[in-house]
This record gives sequence, structure tokens and C-alpha cells, in this order.
Amino acid sequence: MEVIVTQENLSFALNNTSRVTSTKAGLPILGNILLRTDKSRLLVAATNLEVAASHRIGAKVTKPGSITIPARLLNEFIQNLPKEQLTLTAKDNKLHISSSTSSSTINGSPDDEFPELPTIDDKKAVKYTITASDFKQSVSQTIIAASGDSTRPILTGVYWHSFEKKLYLAATDGYRLAERHITGTSSSVNAVIPTSTLQEVLRTLRDETVELDVLFDETQVTFRLDEVEITSRLIDGNFPDYRQLIPAASETNFTINRTELIRVIKIASLFARESGGGIILNVDSDKNTLTINSIASEIGENSSEIPVVSSGQAASVSLNSRYLLDALNVMSSDEISFGFSGKLAPCVIHEITKSPAYKHIIMPLKS
Amino acid sequence: MSHSLWQSVLGEIELSVSHATYMTWFKNTELINDAPANFTVAVPNIFAQRQFEVKFDSQVKAVLEKNGVKPDAITYIVKTAAKRPVASRETTHHLPADRLVAPAKKSIPSQSQPVSGLNPRYSFDNFIVGSSNDLAYSACQAVAQHPGTKYNPLFLYGGVGLGKTHLIQAVGNEITKKQPDTQVLYISSETFVNDFLESIRFKKKGFATKYRNVDVLIVDDMQFIAGKEKTQEEFFHTFNALHQANKQIIISSDKPPRNIPTLTERLRSRFEWGMSIDIQMPDFETRCAILEAKAAQSGVELERETVEYLANNIKTNIRELEGALNQLLAYSEMRGIPADISTAEGLIGNVRRSRPQHLTPKQIIDKTARHFQLSPAEICSAKRDKHIVTPRQIAMYLLRSELHLSFPKIASELGRKDHTTAIHSVEKIEKAIKLDFLIREQVAELRDKLYV
Repeated sequence: MEVIVTQENLSFALNNTSRVTSTKAGLPILGNILLRTDKSRLLVAATNLEVAASHRIGAKVTKPGSITIPARLLNEFIQNLPKEQLTLTAKDNKLHISSSTSSSTINGSPDDEFPELPTIDDKKAVKYTITASDFKQSVSQTIIAASGDSTRPILTGVYWHSFEKKLYLAATDGYRLAERHITGTSSSVNAVIPTSTLQEVLRTLRDETVELDVLFDETQVTFRLDEVEITSRLIDGNFPDYRQLIPAASETNFTINRTELIRVIKIASLFARESGGGIILNVDSDKNTLTINSIASEIGENSSEIPVVSSGQAASVSLNSRYLLDALNVMSSDEISFGFSGKLAPCVIHEITKSPAYKHIIMPLKS
Repeated sequence: MSHSLWQSVLGEIELSVSHATYMTWFKNTELINDAPANFTVAVPNIFAQRQFEVKFDSQVKAVLEKNGVKPDAITYIVKTAAKRPVASRETTHHLPADRLVAPAKKSIPSQSQPVSGLNPRYSFDNFIVGSSNDLAYSACQAVAQHPGTKYNPLFLYGGVGLGKTHLIQAVGNEITKKQPDTQVLYISSETFVNDFLESIRFKKKGFATKYRNVDVLIVDDMQFIAGKEKTQEEFFHTFNALHQANKQIIISSDKPPRNIPTLTERLRSRFEWGMSIDIQMPDFETRCAILEAKAAQSGVELERETVEYLANNIKTNIRELEGALNQLLAYSEMRGIPADISTAEGLIGNVRRSRPQHLTPKQIIDKTARHFQLSPAEICSAKRDKHIVTPRQIAMYLLRSELHLSFPKIASELGRKDHTTAIHSVEKIEKAIKLDFLIREQVAELRDKLYV
């Protein structure tokens, strides 16, 4: 193999693919990056058998061929080269890298052992084209609610599904739930994507990426953004039927300024460490105020008041301040609305926009 | 048949590829359909699917041919545990759940599913309640009704054989009965220590998962954790993780938290956080009720006087009480004689002989003095300092309760002339035992020491 590539392109590709390599014992080849010529491009790929990432970068191919190289070494080496053209030559399981000022050789291994990269059949797959900004916002708004508990794998992913001609993303860890409508759909999708895969896609998104394609089939999902392709397995199992848990209406509703509320909750959370982050929200519908209380018997206590626009009866609910902050921080509108129904029913938070797409639900703490 | 075919294919392939390759790709594959026209193999994931399609297909075919099977083509499909049906969504009622989604079903982590460790024999129904344990009983019932919210942690303590284990297991059994989904874990603190040591020694994973993913954690005989620094620290973290998540924790011990030596301060304060209740030796009536219930379980009805005789003679420990009853029943069955008071009398002699009876008044005074770090002379002196007076009164009480000495004799043992002092002291301690927890503890401890 002999190709000429720019350091910038190779460095970007290596940076993104080396993250998905696996250093777990078993199959040592998974710690390697695959370099393979593909017509007039160079394929840079890695996999850990959960996710596979492949980049195709522009290259001047003088001699087709392939090799695999230990990811970390190659990545760190290329990152530190100056921005110029590099000539990569693979011969006898060694990769020679030469630039105008340096020349090095890295031992590699042949690509026969390297797993085949899964491919998705474009004809059979369900395909969505989503703008990068929509994708970024929707994924980061839902991923926060996914569970980290590996004993229940189905909740460690984000549930992409079609419902009434719309494509929704949803995630829950049992204590909170986030749901976001992302685009319309005419086909039926029902897939749980591992959070690690989505984080990988988020990291790979560049500022200049305008849109990306998401392709589903029954067992895998592929994200295509510019020259990058990330394919992942789906989490096996049925996502809980969460819709029945979303209250249709709440007894107490109020709207509030988001940034102001974040500020006040941050203060209250300082006194909530003892109670596991629990703070108490009191809505007074006559005075139109929200009072937030937190008490730490050893440190002290805090009480703050914010004006709200409320309707319905007065309510007092104890919520986890960390969950609240997580939710408020991923919302974008200036004003948001809350719905409470007594001490134990789920609390619903919406953005106030022209077409609200995001819903976040938090279970109150029992106090 | 298809199963054995695939086994032999795998066996052959295992020999021809590297171990890592075999483990990564071939393990967890299975033959779904062996009809030549529709030969289907299930593989664990999309990566394996692609790998088989491109790389291993010819190899698999070759081995199949050797085994006399020649499929037209092999289809590789990804195994899915569950089909994905569209769930019905018309329901709008709100589940009264404290979690949005029910916790993991028991069947999901099939191998790592911890066994609850509960003995179904222990239930609330067969627990005899009396004035000595009714507080503990109601607390346990409350916890079983509302795990995680009512008294968390619930700390039960009391001497051996008084029913701590019975009660805490009954809570576990009751919760499992009501909500079979709840993960209840019952362990002795020794199991916890062993698991912890093993997880360190063999770098085993799953320790935290085992203990932190339960809904109810029941730890028996917590006192054995005393003095084990690292284990205490680990338990502390486990405790916090569970408590934060509103998971119920139930602990039993033979002493209250503050009396367990070398229990770290942070654990102690946590144990005292919820509710600590002591279980005391049941009174005479309760002992009778226990004996009658146990006898009824064995299908025997005892005469009232036999029951009373047993209850009267064994006062310290329910286990001993049950032992005596079992002995009586077994004896009467073997010999074919009625389980009446005379048989009991003959047998109880045996039971009682197991206890050293050579206790002298001097020993009681000496041991009481030593317990309070006084000299026997001080106990018998005329000093009226408070730290001497109470031990002196306790000594008198013990002389009365253990040796049944007469009041004048008690007075003279302690160098007193007037026996009314002895009467006053014994009455005072009797009353204090009912009211003052500290005195009760000390008397119980002393009594144990006397018979060591």
C-alpha cells in the first residue's frame, strides 16, 4: 500500500476512530486501526464489536493495499506531526510514515484478523436525514435521563421510535424520563441505541456538519455524517411502555424563567447534600410565587422565592436538585412550564416554544 | 439432532482457529434451521453476522460437508431475545409507582440473580408477640408494609435466641410475598465480609452490583463486622448508596450500635439514624404462648402445667426453650410415654445441668465489682458515691434474682445490718430495668458474665 494524505485529515480520522478501539483482552486486533485503500480514498476504521467507526479521507493512492496498526501509538504519533503531506507505505506488516522532516516505521499486523465492518443495506433500512443541530439538541436532551445501571441494559440506551407519524427519542432511568420529538416519519422504527454510541456520534459531529443520515434495520443503526460512518448494534429487548406514565394533565401548573430557576436551584442544592439532593418546591397560587427550601441540619438552611405565573391549587413537592438541574440545563427556551399533581405524582417540565418538542418528567422524592 | 450437528461443527472449528477467535465469534452461536434449503445460524450480534457472512462462511460450509450436510446457502441472523412488538399505548392511567419504570424483573439478569437467602419458614404469622417484643414486631410490620420509607434503617438488637432473625426474615418474606418483583437480599454480616474479601482477593466484579441493586437489604448479626475497618468502610458505602435510593435496610445485632466496640463512628451514627429497637426476653405468658404454638406445630397438645413448668424453668433464651420442648416431645415419642410434667421434670434436669450452678454470692459480688471497675471492698463499703451505689444495688438484685437469697442474707453479704436496704435496692433495680435502658443492658451483660 502506498498513499499520500494530509496530516489534518488523517489526524481527525484517527482521533475519532481510536476512541472506539477496545483494549480488552481476547481479541488483540481490536486495539488496532485498520488502514485500507478504497478507490481514491483511504479507509480508517476501528471497532470494539459494539460500535464500528470508519472514516474515508481523501488520498492520492499510488498502490492499493491495507494494514492494521496499534491505535494509540499511531494516533499520538500523527497528532504531533506538523500540518503537511504524509506518505504512508505499508510493506511486510510495517507502516512507513514519511513527511518532509521525519520518517518512521511502526510495526503492524495484516488485516485478515480484523473483523469485517458491518454494513447496512440502504434498500432495506429506514433512513432519516436530520440536521446536525436538531440531532445534537435532541440527543443531549434525552441522553441525560438514560440509566447507567448495567443490570437493566434496556434502560442504558435511548429509545428511537415512531409514534403517530412522528419520530421520538426517549430515555429513562426509572426516576426521570426525557422525551423529544425529532422529525416526522412514515415508517415504523423501534430501536434502542446504546448511549455510548450516541456520545460517539456527538463527539464526531464537527461544527461544519450540516446534517446527518440515520439508518435503521432490525439489529443495527448507522450514522452517516460527511465522510464518517458509525455503525452500532442495538440494545436487545423491549423498552418499557413509558407513555402511560406521562400525566395527561397536572393539578398545579406554573411558568417560570429558566435561568433564574437554575440559579436558585444551584443555591438550594448546596444545602441539599445531606438529603441526597432533595429540595422542596412550594407553589403558592394566590401570591404567584415559588418557594424553594432546602435544609441540612449540620450546615444550615436556605429558602428562596421566585415569581411565577401559576394556575390550579397550591402544591409542595420534593425533587432531586441534580435531576432538575440536568433537565433545565439542556432546555433552550427562556420560559419553561412545570406541572405538579400532589406529592407523589410525576412532575412534568416543558419548554415554552412555538412547537414544544421536549418533555421531561421527574419522580418526586418521598419525604 | 440439529443441536448435535452444530456442536460437532463447532468442535471441529475450535481446533482449526485460535482460541480468541473461537471465543469471540463462534461461542454463543446456534443452529436454528438445518433444512438444506433454509439453513440458518443465529449469531450474537451484527459484527458476528458480517464476520460469518464474509470470512467464515466457506469454512463453516466445508466442515458441514464433512459432516454430511450440504446446505445451498447459509443465512446468518442476529439473535434477539425478544421480538419487538408494538406495545399497546391506549392506556392512560397512572401507575402508583414510586419509580417510573418497575425495577428489573428477576428474570432479566438470569445468572447473576442473587438468591434472597430467606428461609420461608419465618413469617409474621408464626411469630409470637408479647410485651417484650411487640414494639419490634410492629416496627417490622410497618417496614414490610412500606419498605424504604417508614423506619430506615431498622436496627433490631437483643440477646441470642430472642427472635431477631425470625423477625427480620419475616419482613423479607412478607415483602417478597406482596411484591414478588422486589429484590430482597438476606445475609449474615459474615457473608458480607467474605464476599468483600473475595472481591478484593480475586478482583471479582459484581460485589457492588450484588449489594447495591437490591431493594431490601437485611443483614443479620451485624456485630461481627466490628473491628474490620475496610469492610466497615465498604458497608458504609453500600449503606449510603441504598439509603440514598430509599432502599430499605434492616440490621440485627446482639448489642445496640453504641455498644458495639470498634464500630466506626460514621457507621454507628448511621445505624442510629432510623429506628433501633431492642428485643427482650419474653415474659412468662409469652413463653407459654410460644411453647403452645410450637407444640401445636408438632401436632401435640401439652397440659397447662407442663407448659408452665417449662416456661418457668427456662427463662433466658427462646432457642433453649424450644430445644427443651423438642427434647420432651422426642423423648415422649421414643419411649411412648405422655409428654407430661413428670417427664418434663426428668428432662429439664438435664437441660439445666448444662448450666454451671456453682455460683456463690461472693462470685456475684466480685464479678459485679469487676464489671464496674470497682473493688469488692468498695461495693461492700458504706460509701454513698453514685458510681458505687448503683453497682451495689445491682449486686443485691442479682443475689436475689439468681440465687434467691433472703433479704437479710443479702444485706449481710454486703456488710449491711439492715435488710430493708436490700429490699429497697432490689425493688429499685427491678423498676429501673423496666425504665432505664442502660441499667437493663448492664444487668443483662452481667448476668451473661456470671454464667460464662
